[in-house]
Amino acid sequence: MKVLTFSWEFPPAKNGGLGVACYGLTRELLETGVEVLFVLPKTQETKGNATFLFADTERLQRLGEIGEVFYGPYSQSDTNVYSIIGYDATGKPILRARTILEEAHRFAHQAALIAQMETFDVIHAHDWTSYLAGVAAKIATGKKLVLHVHATSFDQAGGDNVDPSIFNIEHEAFMMADKIVTVSEYTRNIVVNKHGVDQDKVEVVHNGCDSHEPATLPPTLAALKAQGKKIVLYHGRISIQKGVDHFIRAARRVVDVDPSVVFVVSGSGDMLQQIMNQVGEMRLSQHVRFAGALWDEDRDRMYQSADLFVMPSVSEPFGLVPLEALQHGTPSVITKQSGVAEVLTHALKVDFWDVDQMANQILSALRYPAMRGQLVKEGRMQIAGFSWGTAAQKVKRLYQSLLQYATS
Amino acid sequence: MLTVCPYFHVHQPFRVKNYRVFDIGEDTEYFNDMSGTDVDNRFIVEKVANKSYRPTNKVLKELLDKHPEFRFNLSFSGTVLDQFEMYAPDVLESFQELVATGRVEILADTYHHSLAFFYSVPEFKRQVKQHERKIQKLFGVKPRVFRNTELSYRNDLAKWCEDNGYIGIMSEGWEKYLGWRSPNHLYRPPGCSKIKVLLKNYKLSDDVAFRFGNKEWADFPLSADTYANWINAHHGDGSTVNLFMDYESFGEHQWEDTGIFDFLRHLPEMVLRHPDSGFKTATETVQAYDTAGEYDVPDVLTWADTDRDLTAWTGNDIQQDAIAATYRMERDVMRTKNRHLIETWRKLQTSDHFYYMCTKWSNDGDVHAYFSPYKSPYDAYVNFMNALSDLQLRVKHVVDQKDREAEQADQSDQAARNTMTEEEIETQVARRVQQAMEKLAQTSATKPKKKAADTTNPSTAASDQPQPSFLGNLWSRVKKVFPVTPSK
Repeated sequence: MKVLTFSWEFPPAKNGGLGVACYGLTRELLETGVEVLFVLPKTQETKGNATFLFADTERLQRLGEIGEVFYGPYSQSDTNVYSIIGYDATGKPILRARTILEEAHRFAHQAALIAQMETFDVIHAHDWTSYLAGVAAKIATGKKLVLHVHATSFDQAGGDNVDPSIFNIEHEAFMMADKIVTVSEYTRNIVVNKHGVDQDKVEVVHNGCDSHEPATLPPTLAALKAQGKKIVLYHGRISIQKGVDHFIRAARRVVDVDPSVVFVVSGSGDMLQQIMNQVGEMRLSQHVRFAGALWDEDRDRMYQSADLFVMPSVSEPFGLVPLEALQHGTPSVITKQSGVAEVLTHALKVDFWDVDQMANQILSALRYPAMRGQLVKEGRMQIAGFSWGTAAQKVKRLYQSLLQYATS
Repeated sequence: MLTVCPYFHVHQPFRVKNYRVFDIGEDTEYFNDMSGTDVDNRFIVEKVANKSYRPTNKVLKELLDKHPEFRFNLSFSGTVLDQFEMYAPDVLESFQELVATGRVEILADTYHHSLAFFYSVPEFKRQVKQHERKIQKLFGVKPRVFRNTELSYRNDLAKWCEDNGYIGIMSEGWEKYLGWRSPNHLYRPPGCSKIKVLLKNYKLSDDVAFRFGNKEWADFPLSADTYANWINAHHGDGSTVNLFMDYESFGEHQWEDTGIFDFLRHLPEMVLRHPDSGFKTATETVQAYDTAGEYDVPDVLTWADTDRDLTAWTGNDIQQDAIAATYRMERDVMRTKNRHLIETWRKLQTSDHFYYMCTKWSNDGDVHAYFSPYKSPYDAYVNFMNALSDLQLRVKHVVDQKDREAEQADQSDQAARNTMTEEEIETQVARRVQQAMEKLAQTSATKPKKKAADTTNPSTAASDQPQPSFLGNLWSRVKKVFPVTPSK
């Protein structure tokens, strides 16, 4: 069995959970004997044994990342990306700005060409930026289409105020899909209730989590810890979806009771300035540190040094970060509006709007070390069972169920 | 002859409300949720009263009226009796009517449905006595057969019960300790000479308590006729079939629509069809039959889960932390001599609080295996520990004050000594000793009833005698302040 897969992200490029999920799922699908032909929108380094195609090589268009340009699936549809469309006489690249939406359409155009040239049995497209590509490949070949929902426009908007162009793509693609996979029951409910998709068409495949025993790193923020300060960490994008504003409000409540707590905000995003202003307004400058976007070892050191991690998301289809924090020995407070809350028992859970309860849980976790210890100990045992292998088995069965009725 | 000894356990805890860190030092009410949800104690008692206590007592009364041979046993936690008094006095009255027939025995228990025996025997004893007083007051009877929280049992508990005058004790009939032997005999705990153990026939008990309404069960639906046949099949295999279960099995765990009340209504009649079958209370059972051997239980045995141990209450780190923190307070709480603080502390000892923190099966995703009014074991722990932290503050406040007063008293004694002649000191010491002796004589004189009881039970006599610590304390204080030997 061979699957033609479209996605916007893939490791080792540094981006969000989509790339991590695509990698884990692809690796395990290969293990179960499914061939994966993986199509990315632009040429990049890759990881693992799938066969990769890049949708920019078709027209010899090389897309380059320029400086800090954010090129992720979570951008608004009108966020600009830059592509190098050629080189001038002096060898300088000629740049052309496109919106993500235009890129998604270009991707779809290339996808149709690729689909006609390649042989495969089923199409699998990850997230809205690749849905059009998946749909185009289906129209071009008549093969069955699986759409994999890692996030929706509702998550991104943190409510119903969605980006209409993304919603339209989602809506039309969902209608065209033969099966839809969501990463949680939470997301399945959105797809069924908000997009109006027939519930029999939607299946849940929870994300896996690669367990590994991370090395113990030298602590960070040693000076603060030496003063007996307790560290509460947020790590992620700073956008409306992530609920950092609620986190800061909870911080105020916590500090009123226990002034020895320091809150670290790691990440960047379109709400950063607003959050900084909020910290000032709430007179929390002494208690909130902005660490910028941390990656790799810096991020891992922060995970290990923190006493508690908080994922305050307003709407989180899955949410990998609390699992990462657990692997580094740090327990979490997570919101109930997340997919990971469905599978992880060993976390404190709160409604994102319930700032009081969030503060109560933060304070309680810091007060009672026995609870932190158990959240980590039993949480780690639990996530050892969240495997990409299980997820891949489910996806493979899904492919098979589609092929049973396919004419080819 | 084969007799059935049914025993129903009635219990409701005082559930802790959503008690936040911010409430510590501010709010002294831990059990007064009024949200109409599963942590609202009044709401629960009223709900269970309608579904279980009222209809079941009605059926039981009918059965007692109809069958003069019918007998059974009840045990109550003090916490459920308190809640009946507050929220459902009519339910309490209906239980009193049952007991008044003389054919319903009440068993001894801890007042607070606690695991105190395994953490503090003195505290355990105080709770058993408190329970005995409550039962005496409400029902006018004195229990003679003991059952411990969650049917938890160990050899040394049986020994304690024998030493404290009980003639029987209940336990789980578990193969690990029974081997090939039948649970339908009475047994003798090792090291005991009088007390007898009644063993739960867990197969027959659980058919009603757990399996009755399960449509997947091969024997569903179970009729009273069939069940009575299963009981009567034990003729020749022992003398008593002990059916122990939660009272709330009737109507609450097994809902009315499963037919549980019809089942109960017909059971005695069906059992009594056999000419050699009957019913006995626990005391009658103990008095009627001899023991068939020794039942040796060196480790804690309970009626819970497939493990039959305490791991559902003390299996994980947060449970152990919470229960240790609770019993660590004992000395200070008792020192306060404040009835309300002591009672609040005891309400927090109820085993249900620790049960709600259980994570035993959660890794298998089977979170519903444990019933809890809280969303997660961690919510249960957070509420409990926050409430306990507040209680610790209140206790500390009282204890600190007592310490300060004692210190001041010492200082004034010291000051007095500096201005007194040796002769005056001796006179004062002699006077204080005299006062102490008089007080001692008074206290023993005001407890003639206890004295009488003492002669029949030498073991309680020892502990009920006027505490030597009273004199001892006085002497040590006297010697500390006046380092002279008083002349007699």
